[in-house]
Amino acid sequence: MKTVINEQERRNFAREVESKLHDKLAKCYQCGKCSAGCPVNFEMDFTPNQIIKMTELGMADKVLDSKTIWLCVSCNTCSTRCPKGFEVAGIMDVLREIAVNRGIESKTEKEVQTFHEVFLDNVKSNGRIFELELVGKYKLKTKHLFRDMFLAPKMIEKGKLKIHSDRVSNINQIAKIFKDFE
Amino acid sequence: MARIGVFVCWCGSNIAGTVDVKKVAEEAAKIPGVVEAVDYKYMCSDPGQNTLRKMIKEKNLTGVVLAACSPHMHENTFRKAAVKEGLNPYFIEIANIREQVSWVHEDKEKATGKAIDLLKMMVEKVKKNKPIEDVRVPLTKKALVIGGGISGIQAALDIANGGVEVILVEKEPSIGGKMIQLDETFPTLDCSSCIMTPKMVEVYQHPNIKLYTYSELEEVSGYIGNFNVKIKKKARSIVEKDCTGCGDCWNICPMHKNVKSEFNVNLSERTAIYVPFPQAVPLIPVIDRSVCLHFKKGGKCQKCYDACGPKCINFDLQDEIIEEKVGAIVAATGYDLMENSLYGEYGYGKFKDVISGLQFERLLSASGPTEGVVKRPSDGKTPETIVFIQCVGSRDPEKGVPYCSKVCCMYTAKHAKLFAHKVHGSQSYVFYIDIRATSKGYEEFVRGTMENEGAIYLRGRVSKIYEDNGKLIVKGADTLSGNQVEIAADMVVLATGVIPKKGSDKMAQMLGISYDKYGFYTESHPKLRPAESSTAGIYLAGMAQGPRDIPESVVSGSAAASKILGLFSKSEYEVEGTIASVNKTTCVGCFYCKRVCAYSAISKEEIKDRNGNVLKVVANVNSGLCAGCGACVNACFSKSIDLKGYLDEQIFAEIKSLAV
Repeated sequence: MKTVINEQERRNFAREVESKLHDKLAKCYQCGKCSAGCPVNFEMDFTPNQIIKMTELGMADKVLDSKTIWLCVSCNTCSTRCPKGFEVAGIMDVLREIAVNRGIESKTEKEVQTFHEVFLDNVKSNGRIFELELVGKYKLKTKHLFRDMFLAPKMIEKGKLKIHSDRVSNINQIAKIFKDFE
Repeated sequence: MARIGVFVCWCGSNIAGTVDVKKVAEEAAKIPGVVEAVDYKYMCSDPGQNTLRKMIKEKNLTGVVLAACSPHMHENTFRKAAVKEGLNPYFIEIANIREQVSWVHEDKEKATGKAIDLLKMMVEKVKKNKPIEDVRVPLTKKALVIGGGISGIQAALDIANGGVEVILVEKEPSIGGKMIQLDETFPTLDCSSCIMTPKMVEVYQHPNIKLYTYSELEEVSGYIGNFNVKIKKKARSIVEKDCTGCGDCWNICPMHKNVKSEFNVNLSERTAIYVPFPQAVPLIPVIDRSVCLHFKKGGKCQKCYDACGPKCINFDLQDEIIEEKVGAIVAATGYDLMENSLYGEYGYGKFKDVISGLQFERLLSASGPTEGVVKRPSDGKTPETIVFIQCVGSRDPEKGVPYCSKVCCMYTAKHAKLFAHKVHGSQSYVFYIDIRATSKGYEEFVRGTMENEGAIYLRGRVSKIYEDNGKLIVKGADTLSGNQVEIAADMVVLATGVIPKKGSDKMAQMLGISYDKYGFYTESHPKLRPAESSTAGIYLAGMAQGPRDIPESVVSGSAAASKILGLFSKSEYEVEGTIASVNKTTCVGCFYCKRVCAYSAISKEEIKDRNGNVLKVVANVNSGLCAGCGACVNACFSKSIDLKGYLDEQIFAEIKSLAV
């Protein structure tokens, strides 16, 4: 893959990420400890350390189009183990955010993107997760109505899937947080 | 009648585990001439040595054989113990039953048999031993330092401060070497000339240092303590004692546009009469006769002569040969940089803005051609984006050299840092294979360049550079992300590899020291004798030995100096007495020995009658140079040379002891 580095674009992109991340991309050693421990690395098209390097080099298109940023499950194994204390999981969040802001739709991981949207909506309206509503909306949006249905009874049995919403009392404050970020 | 004591060492289980030491001692006791044979756990320990000493005294021994480890390890220990009891140290013999027996065999019975055989041989040898006296060589307490770079300067100052006279020979018109060309030095960013010039001035003013600049070593003969050297003092065309360094001559010289300045690495011009740089030591100009109009046009131009107040210019001065006698030599001849033109794909020489690291150093320097303002050589504009390429020539066995030049990672990081300091908003890209930053503060320095100065490091090599629309397009790879990258740069700096100074091989041949396949001088032992060359009395310092940075060069200069001061602290130099000796009665003067001697230790000696008529010419061994290798012994047709300690009769006795 050939990449022509445009100094101004590179700088703009790297600075955008760095300001949102509150961290320096140059901190990364490129030692690969993040990639070595990533539990979903096998499904990724670029390893986490490659994402960091490419972001530093301003390869916005490739990074924002990558599967990696959507496949990251934010388990934070990478950030915890990073010898330089770099926010590896954090950069994935930042890149997802930039992708959404730029209206970039993931070609391969649409469902993940949808899940993130539904998840945030759910938090916005309830202040916490209301699983039944989350699952319902996700299924409607992705049209996979019957996938994983057999798990529902077990979850209800264990009290993991409540019938009624358990909305936080002071929902206005949640709204304010969302407003501040938007 | 021989009275021999035998000591069999266990070396813990090292020997005793594989060799039946009791049996070896028992068998040894049966050999005629052996008064007593004992075994002991550690002969090298204090109690072990005391046993040895006690027996020498009580049994009045005439010879000792130790069955123990290699003589390389403890021969000296045991010799010293013997000397304390009044026994000549060369009456100690060692049968090596560790490295040659226990460590290499498994079968205990056979190993024991071999140990007994080796021991028997040594007993027979020691019976024939003769006392040998160590050779004492007189010392001329004066040192010669070749090369006036930082390591040579350090060596010269340390020796001189130790109260010993030093002659410092420098090929260029000024001392200072490569270091004085640098701008700031990693990792502390001290300005190079600020820390270097005081040392240069100290050398010039030191009462114990005689400085010969613009001079070359012409000939070296002799040996440790007694070297004769010829120094060619090239004609400077200036009467040095009268010159005030005022500069009237070089300011008026009409040849100011045609000659590239060596000091500024071709980035500026100099005149035909010149000082390489304003802080030159000594501040005395030189006339470059290959370009000076006076010499080229048959004496027509003499503007400098007319301008010179004290009239110290003398066009008729000739090269001078100066002979000196010194006791020790430091070879600190330094290094060169590889030819960048080896890499056609980088376009060095074709594109003006592709420059070497040393050239960039001059661009950064306040005393450089741009007075420290970073400007492109092509159009004088300040570059905004610079691509640095590391390992240009280094770590490239195909086109360059396989070794790492050691300093490039650091100076490139420094360049990127200084560039960021000098041009705000600029951007550096560094292509590297690995970053080697291993000394104190180095890793932090490189990380600082990346994290604080924003230099972008790309792991990969550059394949090609071409010009497009006033920019240099650098095509490289970032192997970490797996991308081919293209960067439009205003300037490209090549971190060129380090090679030995041109002619260092000839210098090594002149000095009689060994050098490796690249031309770097080899040390006597890579770990334990790093300051010594393969020839006694010649020491090494600086990059002439291999790539190293300034602190290491300084250390090596000091190391060589301390070796020399140590050598000179004695009144005479002692050499092991196991050297060759010629029987002058039987020597026929064929000098085949002279041809095989690797140490040039054999000379011709005339034997004269009392009227001074030459009766015969025979070989003579110089005891200061002879290394006791024995090559001449084998070469001698008339069997007139013997190696002390290894006489023919001793060797035959050893062999005979094995006959059953």
